[in-house]
Amino acid sequence: MLIAWKYRERNTVIQRLDPRARIIFMLSILVSVIQFWDLRVILGFLAVALGQYFLARLTWRETRRPWMVISFIIVFLTILTFLTGRGGVGTAYHEEHLLARLGPLSLPIVGWSFTLDITAEKTVFAISQMARMFAITAMAITIPYTIDPGLYGATFRGLGLPDKFAYAMDLAFRYVPTLGRDFSITLDAQRARGYEVEKLSGGIISQIRKLAPLLVPVTINAIVGAEDVIDAMDLRCFGIGPRTWMQKLQYKRADKALILTAVLIFALSTAASIMGLGRLWVPGFVLAWAK
Amino acid sequence: MEIPLIVEHLSFRYRTRQEPALRDVSFMLEAGQVFLVAGSSGCGKTTLIRCINGLIPHSYKGELEGRVLLYGEDMSGKPLSVISQIVGTVLQDPERQILGSRVVNEVAFGLENLGLPRDEILARVDAALAYLDISHLRDRETFYLSGGEKQKVALAGVLAMQPSILLLDEPLASLDPVSAQEALRLIRRLADEGRAVLIIEHRVEDVLKINPEMALFMVDGEVRYLGPTSGLEAAVDYHEVKLPAPMIIEKARHDPPPTYLPPLLVRKEERASLVEFENVSFAYEDGPTVLQDVNFTIRQGDIIAVLGPNGAGKTTLVKHAIGLLKPREGRVRLEGKDTRELSVAQIAHVIGYVFQSPSHMLFAPTVHDELAFGPKNLGYDQTTIEEGVTQAVDILNLGGLENYSPLALSFGQQKRVSIAAILAMRSRVLVMDEPNAGQDYKNYMAFMDAILQLPYFDAILFITHDVDLAVCYANRVLLLHEGRIAADGPPAEVLADAALLKRCRVVPTSLLAANLEMLPRTGRFMRAELLAHVRQT
Repeated sequence: MLIAWKYRERNTVIQRLDPRARIIFMLSILVSVIQFWDLRVILGFLAVALGQYFLARLTWRETRRPWMVISFIIVFLTILTFLTGRGGVGTAYHEEHLLARLGPLSLPIVGWSFTLDITAEKTVFAISQMARMFAITAMAITIPYTIDPGLYGATFRGLGLPDKFAYAMDLAFRYVPTLGRDFSITLDAQRARGYEVEKLSGGIISQIRKLAPLLVPVTINAIVGAEDVIDAMDLRCFGIGPRTWMQKLQYKRADKALILTAVLIFALSTAASIMGLGRLWVPGFVLAWAK
Repeated sequence: MEIPLIVEHLSFRYRTRQEPALRDVSFMLEAGQVFLVAGSSGCGKTTLIRCINGLIPHSYKGELEGRVLLYGEDMSGKPLSVISQIVGTVLQDPERQILGSRVVNEVAFGLENLGLPRDEILARVDAALAYLDISHLRDRETFYLSGGEKQKVALAGVLAMQPSILLLDEPLASLDPVSAQEALRLIRRLADEGRAVLIIEHRVEDVLKINPEMALFMVDGEVRYLGPTSGLEAAVDYHEVKLPAPMIIEKARHDPPPTYLPPLLVRKEERASLVEFENVSFAYEDGPTVLQDVNFTIRQGDIIAVLGPNGAGKTTLVKHAIGLLKPREGRVRLEGKDTRELSVAQIAHVIGYVFQSPSHMLFAPTVHDELAFGPKNLGYDQTTIEEGVTQAVDILNLGGLENYSPLALSFGQQKRVSIAAILAMRSRVLVMDEPNAGQDYKNYMAFMDAILQLPYFDAILFITHDVDLAVCYANRVLLLHEGRIAADGPPAEVLADAALLKRCRVVPTSLLAANLEMLPRTGRFMRAELLAHVRQT
């Protein structure tokens, strides 16, 4: 199944925390880490994120698939940024020190030729970008495996979101496995008709078009199914007024400490960012190679 | 005491349609009654339920005439929140009705929306779960429940709101026979305790076992029969609604004998082996073993019905034949070649697999393109593709629809397109998963008759919960139980073993009983209409 995770109850520090405190902490880390390009600071955030991941006692086996998909996307984006030279120039750094010049190189298929300048700033920026995205991933990937799926609605309501929005989040988590299963059935049904997704060829537009046998049935099924979902909600009085949330969440001391830490991290990060700290840091030894 | 439900001259036309879905429907439902509503697909049954539970006119717009009275009170203009505390509805597909990630959340959903105090919600949730004897499911994730468990959880969510009228839209559709029996007993109990229960069901024969007090038979939105269930037999056409075999035999006696066309697929003397399973075992990732030491061979001329309860491994077995799954142990050979060495596309040249729901595969802008998709993938040249498409269109009676969008067709037409799409691939072995799922009796019998008259196949295999489909069409029955083959042989042998069927959670039907009784005279299993005329001779 393409999209699959399974929540398991584990007696861990992470799972004993109130999910609201964990969401606040996650958001704080996300909003803080994106304020920095300094690899040393980012590695600090990455350490916190990985610490949370390991404290949650998640195994590689259960999280392997999302890690592989997201890592592929991260590496792809980083290489793309590195090759095009866009992203950091003019924002994270203003001058570049050449380490090597490759080329002229020729792009397969389109045949464009170009010269690739490998600079100290571009290289460190790529590494920082990757570390930043992995920190965000490690922080976020832990959530679906360790928050009880029955608590999402109460969690988001507890964070101050309106009933309807909070329940929408709950419903989204409820139907992700259903969507994954529908996708899996469609993939099997089309493969049984000789469709080979791994043999798609042509340009990006053409490849997307060739995904229609998968995307159309899954989308149509989701839309048709949504009608039943709406009926089921209407028939049980959803949205007629303020609702009671059966699950009652209660902050404990550890949760309050975590929220306080989250607030401090965010405040300090923002202050540092305003003061101009934490910009791209290029280690001296890398610059030395450029000379 | 007021009558719980009175429907008076109800007519409704959806805004987007020309024809009315309901025409002048009137009836009443009393407390303690089970009220059966029968009729073929599209006859207006679901529209009737929507009018009673208030979804019409609240969510579905159109022209509505007539009245629905709940305990004497006209419900037009009343909010859904008021109606749904009197009328509880269990929709056809529990997967879509269940909104909570956990059972406890699902059952509490309506009560939370009513803003009840938390303690009361918890008390009502526990009471509903205990009533249905599913307290052990309380903290389970709903996604991983079986079909029968989902049905009960959906019902618990409705019962927690304490309605006195229950509307059940095809509650047996996703259940295997044993789970269906259990659900029916529960429905009877709900009525016996004083609730008024209206049940829509294609499986009329099954519902009749709980002696519904009243029945309504609808055709094209109109009432064709309304009265005690005992009168249903005389009123309905046994070709349209599946009645118990003795009823059909009794009625068919007075009709001319039907024409019997034996299947075109006949067993030759030298029967080639098409697919061989050798000591096949399989488990999904970390899950339990789904198939264990399975050995069997599909040979030329076989029409195999694969029977067994939900979770017995039927679909997993079939997915091994088409190569979608590869065995953990043992091997599957297709015409002598190990499927591990073949791609699914290569296997599709020989085996065509029709999935249960057409909506999972239809995607193309036109029926023609949909049918051409498979043959194109298999690399046939344009002339062969067009020939295959034309033949498939003719065989499945899709002429005139070639340029229609398959997504805009009715369910029955979509099912035919999904079969035609496989036929166009010219596969020699046809495999079907629940060919009668979601179709009414008349449609699926006509469809099975047509399939068996096709000249292209070397073998046919179908998965089904419906013993009668095996009785009417199979020349071989494969009985699966807990991942193992419990029996494999001619229907008259396998289905005659009552103890075996019970152990494998297969429920004998009245047609099976009638066939077994008359087997010494008939020499083979046949449908009830034919049995009627055997008895006369």
